[in-house]
Amino acid sequence: MLRNVLGRLVTDTVRVHRYVNGAPLIQRLTPASVSVRSFSDVKDEVQQPFDASLLEFLVCPLSKKPLRYEAETNELINDELGIAYPIIGGIPNMIPQEARLIQKDTDTTTTTTPTQG
Amino acid sequence: MAASMRLLVRRVIRLSHRNVNVTAAGLPGRSGCCWAPSSCRCFSDAAGDKSTHFGFETVSESEKAKKVYKVFENVAQKYDVMNDAMSLGIHRVWKDMLLHVMHPQPGVRLLDVAGGTGDIAFRFLEYVRSQQERQKRRAARSMQTPSWQDISNNYSTEDEDGPQESTAVVCDINKEMLKVGKQKADSMGISAGLSWVVGDAEELPFDDDQFDIYTIAFGIRNVTHIDQALQEAQRVLKPGGRFMCLEFSKVTNPVLARLYDTYSFQMIPVLGEVIAGDWKSYQYLVESIRKFPDQEEFKGMIEDAGFYCVRYYNLTGGVVALHSGFKL
Repeated sequence: MLRNVLGRLVTDTVRVHRYVNGAPLIQRLTPASVSVRSFSDVKDEVQQPFDASLLEFLVCPLSKKPLRYEAETNELINDELGIAYPIIGGIPNMIPQEARLIQKDTDTTTTTTPTQG
Repeated sequence: MAASMRLLVRRVIRLSHRNVNVTAAGLPGRSGCCWAPSSCRCFSDAAGDKSTHFGFETVSESEKAKKVYKVFENVAQKYDVMNDAMSLGIHRVWKDMLLHVMHPQPGVRLLDVAGGTGDIAFRFLEYVRSQQERQKRRAARSMQTPSWQDISNNYSTEDEDGPQESTAVVCDINKEMLKVGKQKADSMGISAGLSWVVGDAEELPFDDDQFDIYTIAFGIRNVTHIDQALQEAQRVLKPGGRFMCLEFSKVTNPVLARLYDTYSFQMIPVLGEVIAGDWKSYQYLVESIRKFPDQEEFKGMIEDAGFYCVRYYNLTGGVVALHSGFKL
């Protein structure tokens, strides 16, 4: 995550230097303000609540059982089946094929769906 | 690995049917030695692995889902622009009609499946809010000379009730479409009562008996197993809940049908190429409309899923049909 922030900082400053033709003062100021904004932007994205009220009716599509929200990994966990659905940009991804198998060692994506309905 | 071999074998058989010479050197060595058992498996699998339509093409069911995903991933950014261009803005009227027929009251929960860029959800929230305001105005008019006490009471209760009540959940299998929708919501400043979920219409990640209204606008023809999607709709709706589906359908008037066909096949892919840079996706769109069952057949499918009082309204002479059913 820090890498993303730094990467954004670099691209933003590069972009600013390319387009801003004004006084060097402004040039020096804008990257700083951009960096401040980008920090807060990143924080906002992560904190952007995954709306916990969704948990009222959101269930695992496979077992139809309720899920547990894990704040650290930002995932929705079905303990029974041992799978975790990621939340990307505040939007939970409830496609079984994209869920992660929670095992002690492996961390691969799973295809546990019996696709014949 | 087995799947790719199966596809290879199938392709070879198709080619051989067309009397094209396929040299053994063209095939990788592995398939050569296990040709016999794999071909047997291929034939038996071909019976089991059902094929379906992708536009006018025939593909396997697993392929269709992937291809449809690809189509919408490609068009997501330009989706709204293309809708306006292709339908000459009439799609807005269709969606407004859907809301008008739905006539949602404040406090209902909507599930918009294949909602992608959120058109229906936005309209729903706006409709409900204007309904609330109308009710407030009516209440205010009925109170001829309110005392200051009454007025202050009203203000305090209004803020509590309003935004919490009606909620809309937009569900789509495609992340890109939802991203575009979320951006639109953020730019329009709509966030209260709106949620976004990535989910499969055939396997909804929602509990039973949760929603008052289920809508699917111009999405159900892209679902591989329509009957499964209908059954899931039945499951997640509350008893008394309403199923509503907007979809392209068969035009009844023959003259209009001829014009519509010409427009579809000549204009729309061209527009797709010019505006979105994607001919094939819009070719698929137009073909998939032709492959979808007509009004009566779809009505039968909805009834089979267990909905009652199923009826449809033809819009624009049958270009679009609005089907509605209730879970009782």
